[in-house]
Amino acid sequence: MIPDRYPDAEILAQRGHWDRATREVVLDRVTNIPEFRFFNDGERRTLEALCACVVPQDSRPPERCVAIAPWIDQRCHEALLDGFRFDDMPDERESWRAGLAGLDETAGELFQHAFADLTDDQRRTVLQAIDGGESPGDVWGRLPPRRWWRQFALRQIVAVYYSHPYAWNQIGFGGPAYPRGYASLNHGATEPWEPREVEGDGSGENREDWR
Amino acid sequence: MRLRVNLASNWLLDTEMREYPPGEPVDFCIVGTGAGGAVLAQRLARYGFSVVALEAGPWHDSETDMVSDEAGSGRLYWNDLRITGGTEPLELGANNSGRGVGGSTVHYAAFCPRLHPSDFRARTLDDVATDWPLAYAELEPYYAAMEREYPVSGPAHWPWGKPHGYPYAPLEAGTAGQMLVKGCVRLGIPVAAGGPVGIPAGRVGKRPHCIMRGFCLLGCKVGAKSSMHVTHIPDAIEHGAEIRTDCLAYEVVVDNHGFATGVRYLRTDSGGGVHDETQQARAVVVAGYAIETPRLLLNSASGRFPDGLANSSGLVGRFLMAQAAPVVWGRFPFMIRQYKAPPACASTEEFYETDRRNDFVRGYSLQSVSPLPIAMSHLITDEGGLFGDELLRAMQDYNHYACVGVLGEILPDERNFVSLHPTVKDQYGLPVPHVHFNLFDNDRRLMDAGVGRARTVLEAAGATETHWVPRYAHLVGTCRMGFTPEDSVVDRYLRSWDVPNLFVCDGSVLPTQGSANPALTISALAARTADWIRDAAPRGELRRRPDFAVPGDC
Repeated sequence: MIPDRYPDAEILAQRGHWDRATREVVLDRVTNIPEFRFFNDGERRTLEALCACVVPQDSRPPERCVAIAPWIDQRCHEALLDGFRFDDMPDERESWRAGLAGLDETAGELFQHAFADLTDDQRRTVLQAIDGGESPGDVWGRLPPRRWWRQFALRQIVAVYYSHPYAWNQIGFGGPAYPRGYASLNHGATEPWEPREVEGDGSGENREDWR
Repeated sequence: MRLRVNLASNWLLDTEMREYPPGEPVDFCIVGTGAGGAVLAQRLARYGFSVVALEAGPWHDSETDMVSDEAGSGRLYWNDLRITGGTEPLELGANNSGRGVGGSTVHYAAFCPRLHPSDFRARTLDDVATDWPLAYAELEPYYAAMEREYPVSGPAHWPWGKPHGYPYAPLEAGTAGQMLVKGCVRLGIPVAAGGPVGIPAGRVGKRPHCIMRGFCLLGCKVGAKSSMHVTHIPDAIEHGAEIRTDCLAYEVVVDNHGFATGVRYLRTDSGGGVHDETQQARAVVVAGYAIETPRLLLNSASGRFPDGLANSSGLVGRFLMAQAAPVVWGRFPFMIRQYKAPPACASTEEFYETDRRNDFVRGYSLQSVSPLPIAMSHLITDEGGLFGDELLRAMQDYNHYACVGVLGEILPDERNFVSLHPTVKDQYGLPVPHVHFNLFDNDRRLMDAGVGRARTVLEAAGATETHWVPRYAHLVGTCRMGFTPEDSVVDRYLRSWDVPNLFVCDGSVLPTQGSANPALTISALAARTADWIRDAAPRGELRRRPDFAVPGDC
């Protein structure tokens, strides 16, 4: 678990200053989490395990966790497209189905279990094998593993997460700013209502040691 | 019809828009309302021609349809299916062509530099690519006109290319842009702050000044940014043009004599019903972006034009270019808060021209860019495939990052192209575009040099670590203008060599792209073409095939 660098952040408290259209879009994201309609139970389990691996949220109270998998399910169900697909990949729905099957297949080859039943370290090993293009399994003969992972699955998962105000709190993003705008433009200054970063990283460690 | 749409804070466009019956020919039917189509529509309407502009998307009402939110802004983009391949498959959808009145100028960052005079003579000067069939001097007055009309903010003296000044004062830069300035200053690299950017530093007509909210790429709710739907479109309507929205053009119709007679399109009504209609026209202009423009021409194949319309050269769709636009970011020990202020605010063109000491020809610009959280997370995952705690930690540094965008010239190459996919169809049963993009040696060396330069600039400004990922932007070139019917699709006035009353008026016509964001150049070309049409149409020239330009004439 990473330490909290903006412990006082609560961007949603600013929602009274947002325009109505923006407020509706953001609050809808927080409160109206869609039902699963596209993936079957097995796929859903794999997808949720994948999302948990990409964005660990285990130390947050459940009501402060950001739901990710339901939004990917909704994209697939409603066939919301990004406007393109790679010519060496199938369409978005098939890519998700095939890739999730590929995670289980590789997990089975390496650890004799489904991806969702692996430990966190084992899941990372599976994902690193896929990222390196060395993942065992028939699926990855049909689906380019690194492209599926980096340019498709990983991108979509982080896009869902960083669209959420709780994630904005974590990184100190000021959020929507219409019609109020921003006034403090110099020296990285905060607006009076913006969250401040704690000294260091909040853990007592020096941030520069992390990498 | 009565048109009621919010264009800016406290600017409700509430006006009567003229409507033309599709069955009666108008003087011009224009496909697309972006930087090219909108300016052409406005000019032609002012010159007294009847004009219908077909727009595939809707009006984006600034109060109800635009949001201060990355994930909620997908409607601004062209999201119909395209297939992408090659050694560097381009990511399409967001970050290129728009959908809706104003086209991609709705979501562009609004950097509005001019090309340099050398860009028009790459073959002569550097023995690469091709020369343009017109000289910088011919476009210069139109550049100046567009800088006044957008308008564009920037320094009083712009030292690169042909030096010039900007009509509006420089726009204030945020801390992220200041890092580019600081790094350049410390290295002795000339740099400019506050433009050229199509965000006027001050109120313009009914458009308020910028509130520094930093969501330029998601559409400007304020109406401060110079997008076509707040600049030239309202003026076009006032002068009698009709902007017909939710109309997807799928075929340019030609008669037995080889003249264009109109455009077939699919109009989606407010209930979702789709109507197949044809707008008759005495001349047709295609201005639909470098992917959809060649797609429309190729989809307009007929017995007379079996390989696609205006394609006797075989070059429709060929010579696709995108600028190399790698993003380099540095981590600073102090706070940056890059989401504040417009991303487009500082740049240097010091490395724009060919330098014989380099191992490549042509050059690049460095520009400020400031990704919002989702875009930033994609830089980080693309670079190293980070996930888990590593990703969350890297993203916790969001407020410590400042980014520099390299904008580098990629040379035109016939092996980069847009074609129709042989089997895949869209929701209307039309063949989808297949985009093929490859990098070649000069492109790679140029990009490496630009990235290296951006890193040294960020380090000079105080970055303790730097990162980068490749990116590409600004697709152009797929219906190039040239000297003869054999070497190009359109002539120097953007008119088809094959179909005398058919024009292409968007980035597709660019023979080369320099290292300047293309919007202003596209608008300037449109304004120049409009002036030519004003003089040439009464002489009956739109009924005659174009004369050839002789290379070297200009």
